[in-house]
Amino acid sequence: MTGSSLPDKALARAVQSLPNDSLSATRRSALAQFLERGFPTTRLEDWKYTDLKEVAEISRRWLEGGATSPETSALDGEIQRICSSIDADWIVVANGVISPGVISPAGTSHPGNGITVSTFSESSLTPAFDVPLADFNAALLTDGLHIRITADAANDRPLGLLIIDRTNGLPGVAQTRIRIDFEDGANARLIEYQVSLGEAEHYANAVVELCIGSAADVDYVRVQNRAENHIQTHRTEVRLATRSVFRYSGFDLGGQLVRNDLDIEISAPEAEVSIAGLYVAGDGQHIDNHVRIDHQTGPARSTQEYRGILGGRCRCVWNGKAIVQPGADGTDAEQANHNLLLSDHSEIDAKPELEIYADDVKCSHGTTVGQIDDNALFYLRTRGLDKKDAIRALTRAFGASIVSRLAIVELAESLTAMVEARLAELTESDSQ
Amino acid sequence: MLEISELSASTGNTEILDGLSLTVNAGEVHAIMGPNGSGKSTLAQVIAGHDDYAVTGGSVTYKGSDLLQLEPEERAREGIFLGFQYPVEIPGVNNAYLLKAAVNAKRKHRGLDEVDAFEFLKLAREKMAILGMDQKFLNRGVNEGFSGGEKKRNEVLQMAMLEPDLAILDETDSGLDIDALKAVAKGVNALRDPERAIVLVTHYQRLLDYVQPDFVHVLSSGRILRSGDKSLALELEEKGYDWVKEAAHA
Repeated sequence: MTGSSLPDKALARAVQSLPNDSLSATRRSALAQFLERGFPTTRLEDWKYTDLKEVAEISRRWLEGGATSPETSALDGEIQRICSSIDADWIVVANGVISPGVISPAGTSHPGNGITVSTFSESSLTPAFDVPLADFNAALLTDGLHIRITADAANDRPLGLLIIDRTNGLPGVAQTRIRIDFEDGANARLIEYQVSLGEAEHYANAVVELCIGSAADVDYVRVQNRAENHIQTHRTEVRLATRSVFRYSGFDLGGQLVRNDLDIEISAPEAEVSIAGLYVAGDGQHIDNHVRIDHQTGPARSTQEYRGILGGRCRCVWNGKAIVQPGADGTDAEQANHNLLLSDHSEIDAKPELEIYADDVKCSHGTTVGQIDDNALFYLRTRGLDKKDAIRALTRAFGASIVSRLAIVELAESLTAMVEARLAELTESDSQ
Repeated sequence: MLEISELSASTGNTEILDGLSLTVNAGEVHAIMGPNGSGKSTLAQVIAGHDDYAVTGGSVTYKGSDLLQLEPEERAREGIFLGFQYPVEIPGVNNAYLLKAAVNAKRKHRGLDEVDAFEFLKLAREKMAILGMDQKFLNRGVNEGFSGGEKKRNEVLQMAMLEPDLAILDETDSGLDIDALKAVAKGVNALRDPERAIVLVTHYQRLLDYVQPDFVHVLSSGRILRSGDKSLALELEEKGYDWVKEAAHA
C-alpha cells in the first residue's frame, strides 16, 4: 500500500473538527492507520476488479472543499415519502448523522421496551477498524448507531434503517456505522434502505455489525438505490451464535460504483444462513458483491444465491467464498450465481470459491452467464407480445426467484416497483 | 385466407421448403402429413415468423396482404396462432400473465379496451374445464414442469383464449395418451367455425380420427406431393409414406 493519497493535513483537520467526545481517541488511531494503509488497491486479490481511484478523488475534492456536510433539512420530504410508503419503524441516518427518534406509521406507537436505540457514545462503544475502509470510516465517524433487540421485542413491524445522503453542489463524503445486537431468542426483521440524491458526486462508506445471539431469528433486507453518479462501499459483518437463523437479501439497483462486503462468521453449531442477492446494472455502473462465509464449526448450513441482470456498458463482480475450517464437520454450504447479459458490452466477473479443511462436509457451487433465450422470446412474440415487452417479461422472470423470496412483506410492493422501474430503464435502452 | 405460393425457405445452408404451394380458406380444416424431416414444422415456423428460417423464394399472402413483411407479434395480433410442437418452458413468467398479455395485445391492436380481470378469469376457467385442466395451472410458470400432455393442453388453452382466425397446430398430438388426445381434439373441435381456418401438422393419422379434416396434404422434401380428402390419411396409414413418394416419382 502506498499511503492515503489524500491531502493529509486537510484530512487531519476534518478529523479534528469532529466533536471532542468518547470517540475522539479512536478517530485519531484510525486516522493514523488510514494514513499508513490508505485505500485498498487493485493489487489486493479482494480488490482486483474494483478500483477505488474515484473514491480517493471524491474524498480529496471533499476535503479541499472544506469537508462540509450539506444541510439535511432538504431531505425531509424524501424521508417522509419513504417512511410512509413502507410500513416500518424507521431510524434515519442522513449524511452520516443519526437523526434523533423513531418515525413510526401514523396512529401507531413507537417500538416497545424490547428495542433500545442509542448512539455509540451513549453506549460507550467504539468502532473497530481492523479491515480496509473501516479505518477511514472510524476516523471520520460522527457517531455510530447502536440497536439492541431482546427476545421480548415485538416483531409485528420491521425496523427500518434509512441511510440517506444528499449532495448540495459540492462533492460529499458520509460515514455510517451501525451495530445491532440481537439478544438470545430475539425475532427481528430489518430493512436497510440506502438511497442518495443530488447532482454532485458522493461517496458513502458504511460498516454494519450484526451480532446474532443463540436461537435468534433474523430477516435482513438491504436495498440500495443511489443516484447514478454516487459511490458506495459497504461492509456487513455478521456473527452467529448457536441455533441462530439469519436470512439476508441484498438488492442493488443504483449507484455508479458499488462495493458490498458481506462477511459471516459461524462460530457456534447449528446456525443457519441463507443469502440471496439481486443486482441490476446499466450503462456506466459497476456493482461488486463479495461474500465470505466462515464455517468455524459444524454442523451448520449456509446457502447463497445471487442473480445479476446486466445491460448497457457495465461491469459486475460476484465473489462468493465459503471456508470450512478444520473440525467444522457437518457443514453444508451451497453457492450459486446466475447472470443475464442484455448487451454485448456488459461484463460479469464471477468467482465462486470453496476452501475446505474438514472431511464431513457437503459443498457445492455453480455459476452461469447467459443471454435472453431466443426460443422463449419467439414463443412470447407468437402470442402477440411486443419484442420489448417480451424481453422485459423474461428479464423480470430471471430476477423473480430472488424478489419472490423476500421475507419482509411490508417491503414487497415498494421493492417490486423499484426493480420493475429499473428493468424498464434497462430494457428500454437495450432492445434497440 | 392463406395463400402460399412456390415458397422456398432455408436455415443455414440447408434448403428445407422447396417451392411449396397451399391455399387455405376460412372454415376449412387442413391436415399436413409427412415423414420426419419433410419440412412440416419449418412451414409452421415460417408462417409464424421465426427468424431462424430465411425465405428464399415465393410468397405468403394472409387476408390479402404480404405476411412475410410482418413481425411475429404482428402476425399473432392479426389472428395467426401457432401451437408449438415443443412448447417452451418459461419459469418466472406466470401462465395467467401470459394469457392476459396475449389477449390484451390482440384487443389493443383492434382498438378495444383491456379485458376485465373478472371476465378474463371466468373465461379462462371455462376453457380449462373443457380441456380438463386444473385451475392451478394458471398460477404456474408458463409450461414450467408441465408434462408433455399438460404442455399441449396449455397450447390449446392459449388458442381457445385467443380465438385465432388461422390456427396452426404443429404435432399437437405427438406424445399424448388417449385421454389427452381426446381433450386436445375436443378443444380443437370447439374452435371449428366458418370464419376460422385450422391447419393440423401431424405425423400420424390418429388425431384425424377425432378432428376430421376437409383436406389432407402429404409433404415430402419441402413440397406437397399429394392432396386429397380424409381418405388419403387412411390410405397413408395403411401403405406408408414411401407409397406416396413412389407414386410421385413414377
